[in-house]
Amino acid sequence: MAASEVQTARDVRAQRDARRTDGTDIVVIVRTILSAMRMTFMNLFRKPVTVHYPDKTRNYPDRYRGLLALVYEKDTGEEACIGCRLCEYVCPPAVIKVEMLKSEKRNYAKSFTLELYACEFCELCVQVCPTDAIVMMKSFDMPTTDRRELLLDKDRLHAIGLTYEQSWATGNKLRDMQGPPKQAKPVAHAPAAEAPGKAAAEGTAAVS
Amino acid sequence: MIAAIPAWVLLVVAPFIVLNAVIGIVTYVTLLERKFAARMQSRIGPYRVGPHGILQPIADAVKLMMKEDVVPTAADKPVYNLAPIVFLLPCMFIFATIPFAPGLGVADLNIGILFFLAVSAMEIVGLFMAGWGSNNKYALLSAMRAVNQVISYDLPFIFASLVPVLLAGSLQLGDIAAAQSGLWFIFYPVIGQLAFIAFIASTVAAENRAPFDILEAESELVAGFRVEYSGMKFALIQLGEYAHVLGSSFLGALLFLGAWAGPGPEWLGPVWFLIKAMFVFLLVTWVRWSFVRIRVDQILALSWKALLPATLILLLATAFVVVWRTNGGV
Amino acid sequence: MSTVATTTSQDPRRVDLDYAGSERLTMNMGPQHPSAHGVFRAILTLEGETVVGVDAVIGYLHRCHEKLSETLTYAQYPSIASKTDYVAAMTSEFAYVRAAEQIGRIEVPKRAQYLRVMTSELQRVASHLLWLGTWCLDLGGALGGGATIFLYCIRERELILDLFESLVGARLLYGFYQVGGVRYDVPPGWVKTCRETVDLIDSRISEYEQMLGDNPFFMARVQGVGYISRELAEDVGISGPLLRGSGVNFDLRRADPYSSYEDFQFVVPVETAGDCFARYRVRMVEFRESLKIVRQALDGLPEGPISSRPGLKSVAQTRIPKGEAYVRIEGARGEVGCYLIADGSAKPYRMKWRGASFSNLAVLPYIIPGHKVADVVAIMGSVDPVFGEVDR
Repeated sequence: MAASEVQTARDVRAQRDARRTDGTDIVVIVRTILSAMRMTFMNLFRKPVTVHYPDKTRNYPDRYRGLLALVYEKDTGEEACIGCRLCEYVCPPAVIKVEMLKSEKRNYAKSFTLELYACEFCELCVQVCPTDAIVMMKSFDMPTTDRRELLLDKDRLHAIGLTYEQSWATGNKLRDMQGPPKQAKPVAHAPAAEAPGKAAAEGTAAVS
Repeated sequence: MIAAIPAWVLLVVAPFIVLNAVIGIVTYVTLLERKFAARMQSRIGPYRVGPHGILQPIADAVKLMMKEDVVPTAADKPVYNLAPIVFLLPCMFIFATIPFAPGLGVADLNIGILFFLAVSAMEIVGLFMAGWGSNNKYALLSAMRAVNQVISYDLPFIFASLVPVLLAGSLQLGDIAAAQSGLWFIFYPVIGQLAFIAFIASTVAAENRAPFDILEAESELVAGFRVEYSGMKFALIQLGEYAHVLGSSFLGALLFLGAWAGPGPEWLGPVWFLIKAMFVFLLVTWVRWSFVRIRVDQILALSWKALLPATLILLLATAFVVVWRTNGGV
Repeated sequence: MSTVATTTSQDPRRVDLDYAGSERLTMNMGPQHPSAHGVFRAILTLEGETVVGVDAVIGYLHRCHEKLSETLTYAQYPSIASKTDYVAAMTSEFAYVRAAEQIGRIEVPKRAQYLRVMTSELQRVASHLLWLGTWCLDLGGALGGGATIFLYCIRERELILDLFESLVGARLLYGFYQVGGVRYDVPPGWVKTCRETVDLIDSRISEYEQMLGDNPFFMARVQGVGYISRELAEDVGISGPLLRGSGVNFDLRRADPYSSYEDFQFVVPVETAGDCFARYRVRMVEFRESLKIVRQALDGLPEGPISSRPGLKSVAQTRIPKGEAYVRIEGARGEVGCYLIADGSAKPYRMKWRGASFSNLAVLPYIIPGHKVADVVAIMGSVDPVFGEVDR
């Protein structure tokens, strides 16, 4: 394989060398100067790629990693965050601080601070969240004049969640995208689940 | 109608009008260049200041006027302060001999083109004064190189401009323009086109524009000759540069593109002249935004080894053609 | 300047030009300069216009990556690894994650391998687009032809970044890789958009070649400049397009294939001239070959999971057993290596980056002396350093 590939590399070079000169041929000089100018001239007639921000914004894709927010549960309207602190542990720059509030049926987050000025927007907290409580928005628009305004507490995070459009990614969706969901208890027909390829083929086909 | 106005009025009013018109056109030519260059780069140029950036040059002028004038303490003050003016004046004088319509000009001297070329070469003095007066090693070095480059390219510039002179038989710019009523000099077979190309090439180099602008781009590593200027002095130097480019564009339009010849009534002549000058200017701009620059020793080698002999030979060939035609050739 | 460590002249291959008598000028090409490569400081010794000595001073972008990695788990660090080579960010993540997988003997599913190859090659194209743009910007100036080519290249790079944005959500620093596979699968419609983008970029690269290929101005600046001989190239330890531009046929994708690169057909360009123009040609061919690989990957993308440690395992504390590994990746600039020592816990004991640009910069004192000042910029551009990799 090595010999044939070096041969093809030589062919590539040979084709290019067939057109090249050593730079003193006047015809070639004129031709190349004109072809360069033709290229810039052609670009005069292409549509400019400028987006007239902020009058118009570009289309942000579904998975855009924008601002972070906490959301409420869809059915009950309660806060989705259970204060498990998994996001705090997984965050690389350690910008999340959570305190748990224990309650009878479920736990809550007593306080939840996120230092947005240090956030890396890596989406690991979203990926780890078991209840899809923390999500990212499709907007990044939060200009301030004082960095301390970017120290978001729980109320502001919830407010962001209600203001902007949410991205596609939530914790369960990201985890499901990576492979078959793990079964909590061993099922009777365990051997079929040993072959991750087959199960995953259906899994990934159903993901998008 | 022009001839009915008393001469002294023309002597006072005409330069005033021309000067103001030139400064106005020069400021807006910067906008034209920026929009043109932007469109070639798939973007739009100035857009926000005024509708489609119309007020951008005015904003730039106001900004430059409001800037702090920083003068180096050890600078040679008279030389430093006078340099922008000495640089600017020749670039304004060159518009004196250009007729904008038959009979409409400041002074249509019978050595018109000689005056143009001689005066435009005088800006080197201002350039060198700027480099010297700045008391900056690198400014001086770059000014010396700029002088070198301008002198080297003024010679091919002169020879290329002499081709239309030979074809028209007169140094007076009005006569050269009138001699093109039949056929514009650029359309003369071979000679016209080659002379035009040589004219454009030497104009680009003599004005320190890309791809021959290694002096301006010395700011990659060291500073150019006008680094120590800020505020209005810098504006004057920029004005001088663009005025020179514009003057050469007008000269090119006059020498090669028939000046005011064009369809329509006679009063439309200056408008056609302006359009043709803009065409030449855009050609120079197009070259600027298409190529990377070459080193200073390569620039000088190109001039002395290639462009100068080529224009000399072209001039000789033109002379032969003119003699052959007047002696009963085709 | 006494704190600057100057390289010794003991090495016989060092070019030490000896001008009799005339004065030498020391000029500082400071950490901030418009040459757009990052924070690089070169102390040049000049004789008139010619450079006779170069001392490179680095470290202005040091951010303690290696110490930082000892405090972050294997799930957390890949997002940070992007920041070393921030122009082709996924390359660094790739090296780190592969090192962890090699020690832990973690299998990567085939689909993930193809996705990794595809994104690596798209990153290579994006990085080379930035290289071409900034190099022409240095050569041609911010106002002039250089800016034109720069803007064209950035326009095309934006298309690739849009592709990544719809795949990952981020444009420059991704966090796409994780131990065991990748984090994101392709969204619907992405394959079609990718094919269209690849075709468009292919045609635009032809335009750049037309603009620059035989252009006399460009060749006058670039031909014969910065010659690296084959012996020097092999001795000094450079890699990537610098090596292949000097006649050494060495590409890690062929020599030490990883992540299913052996499944793909592509040509490794090798030029013998050794100057800046040769390195330019190598990278221009690499453009096309990378696009070929992307097309092959899109055509042959297998079904399957994208990670062998899916779900909560991906973000859990992965314990890699005791062991060490050195893993090399053919990055856009050369060989990016990650040496990892794992000790059984969730965080590595030690991690060391072999930065491609760091080793490539070592060749500068051998090739710059003898050139004019204006050539320094051309040579730096063709070496293409990214200072995230150099200083880490």
